[in-house]
Amino acid sequence: MSLRLVVNGEDRVSRAEPLTPLVDVLRDEFHLTGAKVACREGFCGACTVHIDGQPVVSCLVPLGMVEGREVRTVESLAAAGELSPLQRIMEEHDVVQCGMCFPGILMVLTSFFREHPRAERGEIKVALVGNICRCTGYERLVDAAVALAKRS
Amino acid sequence: MAIADPSNVTMNLPRRDARDKLLGRTRYTVDRMLPRMLHAAILRSEVASARILKIDITRARQMPGVRAIALSEDAPGMHGIGIADHPLFASGVIRFHGEQIAAVAADTYEQAQAAARAIEVELEPLPIVLTMADALAPGARLVHPDWKNYEVLFEGGARGGNVAWEATVVRGDTEAAFARDDVVVVESCFRVGRQNHVSLEPRAVVASYEDGRYHIETSTQVPWTVRNMTAKLLGVLASQVHVTVPPVGGGFGQKFDCTLEPYAAILARKSGQPVRLVYSRQEEMLTCLCRENAEIKIRSAVTKSGDIAGREAVVLMDCGAYGGEQIFLTTMTAHTLGGNYKLGSVKLASRAVYTNTPPNGAFRACNGVYNTFALERHTDEICQAMGMDPLEFRRRNVLGDGDLGATGQVFEGDVLGPMLDRMEKLREASHSKEPLAGGRLYGRATVVGTWFIFVGPSTATINLNADGSATLITAGVELGQGTMVQALPQIVAHELGIHPNDVIVRNADTDAAGFDLGVGGGRTTVSVGAASLAAAADVRNKILHTASELLQTQPERLVLRNGRVEIAGIEGSGMTIAKAVQHAHRLTGPVVGSGSFTNPGVPAMPGCAAGHFIDAIDIPVFNVHDCEVAVDPDTGHVEILSYKVVQDVGRALNPRAIHGQIQGGVTQGLGYALHEEHTIGEDGCIRQDSLETYRVPLALDTVPVEIDLYEGAPSIGPLGAKGAGEVPILNPPAAVACAIANATGCRVQQLPLTPPRVLGLLLGREPAVELPHIKIVSQLAAGLPPAIDLTPFRADRF
Ligand code: FES
Ligand code: FES
Repeated sequence: MSLRLVVNGEDRVSRAEPLTPLVDVLRDEFHLTGAKVACREGFCGACTVHIDGQPVVSCLVPLGMVEGREVRTVESLAAAGELSPLQRIMEEHDVVQCGMCFPGILMVLTSFFREHPRAERGEIKVALVGNICRCTGYERLVDAAVALAKRS
Repeated sequence: MAIADPSNVTMNLPRRDARDKLLGRTRYTVDRMLPRMLHAAILRSEVASARILKIDITRARQMPGVRAIALSEDAPGMHGIGIADHPLFASGVIRFHGEQIAAVAADTYEQAQAAARAIEVELEPLPIVLTMADALAPGARLVHPDWKNYEVLFEGGARGGNVAWEATVVRGDTEAAFARDDVVVVESCFRVGRQNHVSLEPRAVVASYEDGRYHIETSTQVPWTVRNMTAKLLGVLASQVHVTVPPVGGGFGQKFDCTLEPYAAILARKSGQPVRLVYSRQEEMLTCLCRENAEIKIRSAVTKSGDIAGREAVVLMDCGAYGGEQIFLTTMTAHTLGGNYKLGSVKLASRAVYTNTPPNGAFRACNGVYNTFALERHTDEICQAMGMDPLEFRRRNVLGDGDLGATGQVFEGDVLGPMLDRMEKLREASHSKEPLAGGRLYGRATVVGTWFIFVGPSTATINLNADGSATLITAGVELGQGTMVQALPQIVAHELGIHPNDVIVRNADTDAAGFDLGVGGGRTTVSVGAASLAAAADVRNKILHTASELLQTQPERLVLRNGRVEIAGIEGSGMTIAKAVQHAHRLTGPVVGSGSFTNPGVPAMPGCAAGHFIDAIDIPVFNVHDCEVAVDPDTGHVEILSYKVVQDVGRALNPRAIHGQIQGGVTQGLGYALHEEHTIGEDGCIRQDSLETYRVPLALDTVPVEIDLYEGAPSIGPLGAKGAGEVPILNPPAAVACAIANATGCRVQQLPLTPPRVLGLLLGREPAVELPHIKIVSQLAAGLPPAIDLTPFRADRF
């Protein structure tokens, strides 16, 4: 049993069962541990990746569903080792705490900003409703995202 | 001695670990993988109370992939804090729903789970002691019939029956105060539920057994506790256990105990392979070591002029099936309920009560959060009864310089009073948000709170390297709070005249760093910080002596700044620190320094406190919070309109990082105030087993907190600092509850204030909390000896 997919621009083959959650394939088979498993029920958003450019919670996506499709994880955001503008602004504002939620938050905001580059604070908060952060109380990371939106 | 470069102590040093966290490269314990690593699963009880008749692993052992099974005979020891009442596996009896019966290691997690399910367990059900009222009822079944035979690890607490531990405070004559004819007596009752930490990284461990020693890599706040407790449970020497700690994905107190590490350790020894054990979110929800549910009764005798002549209170804390942290936490009541206001006389009893429910644990500002809620609501009930202005009453009564705390310790400095003034300025600086309430009910409250730094022993070693950098070795852990990557390197760099980026911070490793109490109670900046500062001073002296010989100058005339040893006042003179170290290598050997710290101890009044682990507090930390709310009268929904914090930080070493802690801590407190709660079903099982039914604050639930850091209060911390990460959660439930009471005119006695509960209050349908099982009886009125009736428990009856 083997199944092809594209992960962060590379062709990959997985030997896992088609019902295996995508997040387990990414983490256990491809050693891409950026996506985090914090609930396995779709509630925390820490496992968010892009499938064909759209953010999805990879704990609820069976491997079989992504056959031949393009998956991007947080590891792909810094192309050629350069932080993306979103990563950079989060670093500049020093908003990271334990960091477990950030891979998911970055993936959600990256696709959100692609469609709404000049989003307002309220819209950014709405975009984040599917991401739990237990450390920061959100506001300061939202401040950073607002600062990025203002720059564009 | 020469002075350090003062220019780089206070700074918004950014976190050095942020980049890898943003890149998804940080490897937490859950991300660790070792060759030949097995996966473990735990078999848990599905009943809350039963006798174990038989455990049969014959079938499980033959299941595919199974490499080892651990049972109670593999862990003969008992652990606990104060009382060793807790076995690693249920032995003979089940005491809570979810209790561990066996652990299995297999090639895959699914195989381990399947084998765990195949273990045959025969049980005989026993009655359940579900609530604290049940536990304290006359003739209640004992959760621990054998309590008298348990090893006592800390002397002094009264114990008996289902009361695991009692701490009491008596100062002055409360009976006389309540009997005065010029006082008004106000009595209040409160009840709160359990709060789950929901650290995004669940508890997780990878254990191996190498060269006759256990190596435990774990997501913990307390590497030394894990080392010592694992050894005690397994019956081996503590020196045979080695603990290292990768970056931790959130703790909040949940990881302040040794919990899952011993299971993985036993399985690793039995299988000869590394073993990974990670609790599922469901396991985390059902057995999390929550902030305990509690019941509080307080009464006060207040004179017409507004002085508190006497105060009595009883706090019941549900420790669940085993005493654990709650035994220690009974200590806190004296300081969180008794450390805010001037009291003419005071009598407090704080009891940890056994029930057949999952054990509770430590959670950020343990015990203080609900006691502050109760105390501040009680204070407002006093003001209402006396027709006094709540702010005036607080100004008049908050502790100031020379005032006595509950246990008779003398407080130093006027802090809360000036902080109330600063809050007034902060309130005046922005418009009231009342117009935003629209047609809803508007309320506001300003509340105070006292917390303290849990100090205790820490140690640090510093190697000054030949390239001019320094390596700091401690058992401190980075949980996300930032201390290890911000305050500590800042403190060391300040003392050595180098940039904080040139201070390398070693991850916690019990084979490299000496004993430490762990990360919690706001103690890292203070205790690990003080030890680090002492180690840096040691290194500094050595390097100054070396350089003074080379430069033919007295060490007193030398300064360390910009990575150089310079003659004071002559910039660019002298030599680089690197050069001086290289010289030392040839002359006296490498430059290394060490430092240790423990709290000096503050005296309480003799005879005031019994059963306390801490009689008086070394570093009090004060808070003033202000909150505006709008309450929808049709739905009971509460919106936070504004939130303001004045926090006593001693000295703010990294103001931006402290702001981050305050925003995060206030948000967690708002969750507890408004919607976070675990409730327990008739079967003793926690009802909310996922993040769907247990609701934590999301991005749309928060408001930006307005912050004013109050500096200059006395502190024995390094450079005058106090821990700043724990205390922000102390006051939000108090502030929100008082504001809602003001908005609605209702008597708020419970948390969380969910829409149904608030609507119930508005409609008069919410039953009053009365706590008949807690009696506070006046001696004169009832002709009884104790002012606080200790029935149904008194130590001398047993
Ligand atoms: S792990 Fe996928 S949403 Fe929580
Ligand atoms: S930074 Fe810890 S969960 Fe968001």
